[in-house]
Amino acid sequence: MSETHPTFVLSPGPHLHTEESTSKIMWWVNGSLAPAALWGVFVFGINAAFVILASIAGAVLTEFVSQKALGRRPTLMDGSAVCTGLLLALTVNPNLPAWQAFLGSMFAIGLGKMIFGGLGFNLFNPALLGRAFLMATFPLNMTSGWATPRPWFGVPLDAVTTATPLAVLKEQGFEAAVKLVSSPVGLWNALALGFRPGSIGEVSLLLVAIGGAALLARRIITLAIPLSVLAGVALSTLHTGVPMLHLMSGGFWIGAFYMATDYVTSPSTTRAQIAFGLMIGLLTGMIRVYGGYPEGICYAILIANAMAPALDLWFRPKRTAIAGSPS
Amino acid sequence: MTTATSSLHTFGRGGIHPGPHKEATASREIEDLPTPSEVVLPLLQHLGEPAEPCVKKGEMVRRGQKIAEGGKTGVPLHAPISGKIKPVDKRPHPTMAIAMSLAIGANVDAGPELEFPEDPEWRNLPLEESLSRVREAGIVGLGGAAFPTWRKLEFARAAKVDLLVMNGAECEPYLTSDYRVMLAYPTEIVEGSVLIAKIAGAKKVLIGVESDKPDAIEAIGKAAAALTDRSIPVEVVPCVARYPQGAEKQLVFAVSGRTVPARQLPSAVGVLVQNVATAQAVYDALRYRKPLLDRILTVTGPGIVQPRNVRAPLGASLADIVEFCGGIKPETHRMVAGGPMMGRSLPRLDVPLIKGMNGLVMLTGRGPLEDGFGACIRCGRCLDACPLGLEPDQVSVRVEVGRTLDCEPHGALDCYECGCCSYVCPSSRPLVQFMQVAKSALRRAAATRSAS
Ligand code: SF4
Ligand code: SF4
Repeated sequence: MSETHPTFVLSPGPHLHTEESTSKIMWWVNGSLAPAALWGVFVFGINAAFVILASIAGAVLTEFVSQKALGRRPTLMDGSAVCTGLLLALTVNPNLPAWQAFLGSMFAIGLGKMIFGGLGFNLFNPALLGRAFLMATFPLNMTSGWATPRPWFGVPLDAVTTATPLAVLKEQGFEAAVKLVSSPVGLWNALALGFRPGSIGEVSLLLVAIGGAALLARRIITLAIPLSVLAGVALSTLHTGVPMLHLMSGGFWIGAFYMATDYVTSPSTTRAQIAFGLMIGLLTGMIRVYGGYPEGICYAILIANAMAPALDLWFRPKRTAIAGSPS
Repeated sequence: MTTATSSLHTFGRGGIHPGPHKEATASREIEDLPTPSEVVLPLLQHLGEPAEPCVKKGEMVRRGQKIAEGGKTGVPLHAPISGKIKPVDKRPHPTMAIAMSLAIGANVDAGPELEFPEDPEWRNLPLEESLSRVREAGIVGLGGAAFPTWRKLEFARAAKVDLLVMNGAECEPYLTSDYRVMLAYPTEIVEGSVLIAKIAGAKKVLIGVESDKPDAIEAIGKAAAALTDRSIPVEVVPCVARYPQGAEKQLVFAVSGRTVPARQLPSAVGVLVQNVATAQAVYDALRYRKPLLDRILTVTGPGIVQPRNVRAPLGASLADIVEFCGGIKPETHRMVAGGPMMGRSLPRLDVPLIKGMNGLVMLTGRGPLEDGFGACIRCGRCLDACPLGLEPDQVSVRVEVGRTLDCEPHGALDCYECGCCSYVCPSSRPLVQFMQVAKSALRRAAATRSAS
């Protein structure tokens, strides 16, 4: 009788598993960034598209080649290399030569991720490492010659713009920064909608916020990190009198919602995340106000990344029951 | 005395909401398996020593007759069907592959089931007599653990528990057998609970039922209100439907607010936990001296043709039970005995039903580890899911790099393997197994230390 019985695969429990997977999460992140990326292309022109494509290609190729070389299972479809390439592109000047973006993402994946052992093992946010590499290697292309917004692919709004609002704020003060961005749509509109000079993805706070909201709704991220980054920036720029300009500008939103919340390089418990976010926010403000860069969140996150594993050990989950102590 | 508490109770942190998957069998009444042609009774199907056969090959036995003695730590076995004893031999066992087992071939000449007349004194039995009836009836925990009930009761009494918590949570997805038992035998469960409370010395009974079973809550509540023996208050406590609401520690906290210390039993805070199906068995044992002969289980999952709640004689072949449920679909890939969260996957159907098996779930689709697993992406989901506040992520990465003995601060010794962490991990990491590896390494290291 027994020989006719079917046999079944043995597997360890639990025998049910959530529908969520690493690659689904990554593709959701990528998808939520798409509106901001497309808007960047729309506002800044076709070079922005080349930068995005080159950056993604550099990331994907580097991951593929290094996995082939090491004899590892290729994991391109998990979407994380695409994510790094996309994020890097969104944080650079839309006028950056595409080959430089390609190099930047090669660095990001090669020396920021694969050399540590691949996804899950890297200490620093690869996209931000790539950006730091570009800042060091091509500082001129990264920080000047900003593309001017040219909505509807028409005439540039301001033919002579060469600096971002934050850079102008740093060098020439609030008035000049306001003047730079306020025509023709008004300062806050310009900051929210993206009609102002800046990195490809950072210009439209609105679209970044919508993407972030999608991730929140999908429970891929929580508010712990973004809110505490925000609080940190507000605290450390309050005395300048223009915290709103700081909060509404720069890579702050991309940084707070996408870079600082990167699972691998941020802490996992809520309390550690709050400490981490505050640290990023405070460092960002300090760099912007006292440091040499108008934009500080990139380095602030990289510094905080180094602390993430320690923060997880300092702020541990609360046990519901301790051995040997009835309550 | 029996009012259901208005707000829902639950445990403190963590937990998950896997799809309940109970629709397929929730509305199906308990159906009897036609008497099988053969039953196989492994001598060991619970913790403790194996049973010692007290019948000879070829002997005719009637359903209900004792066929093996329980010894000092175990429980006896009874003939679940009338028939002829086959020789004790090595036969397939669901979890031990092969084990010494008695078998009975059905035979009408053996006679009908023994009669179990009521003992009119059943409510006022002396303690010793009650305990011995529970023991003689072969009752083990029917929630899945299968620990001999008489020993658990004896232990609870010695530990001076004051509260009996009845587990009707049935938080495992797919399973509905406890639910159907609560609907079919509410009075037996409530009476049985009072009997258990008396044996254990508990002063109060709280019956925890998940709120997605309102009719069970109502049925049990009514039965409790109708109790004539009011010496021990019985209360139904509706709990949030959330896994692992039915885990002992979580349930005790949910219904009583008491926190069971890690690595200890509920008796540490004066609580005894029993499953509702066990209460029904205890009731039969004390009132009628009727031994445990059948087991009610849910046969379900996407791989079964006709999902059902089945009452089957112990020792019936799983193949017979599955056939009674229309057989399996060709795409059935895995079979789980028990609930899909904490149950075990079994390789084959030609094994007998044993006392602790409360469900049989036929699953399709690929299972855990069949496609490998990924690195920890430090997403923190496992931390949020663990009801105990342990750190399966930290344990897993330490085990991976060979630092098993560094896992104690992260809770490896406290883990009770509920599986919430593995369930939520987007990298499909076998976190429960990492916890097990760390736990056994730590225990072994501690044992070697204390031995030297
Ligand atoms: S299996 Fe262990 S570590 Fe995982 S959630 Fe359950 S108790 Fe926590
Ligand atoms: S759920 Fe998995 S990937 Fe996420 S932190 Fe836990 S172990 Fe790591």
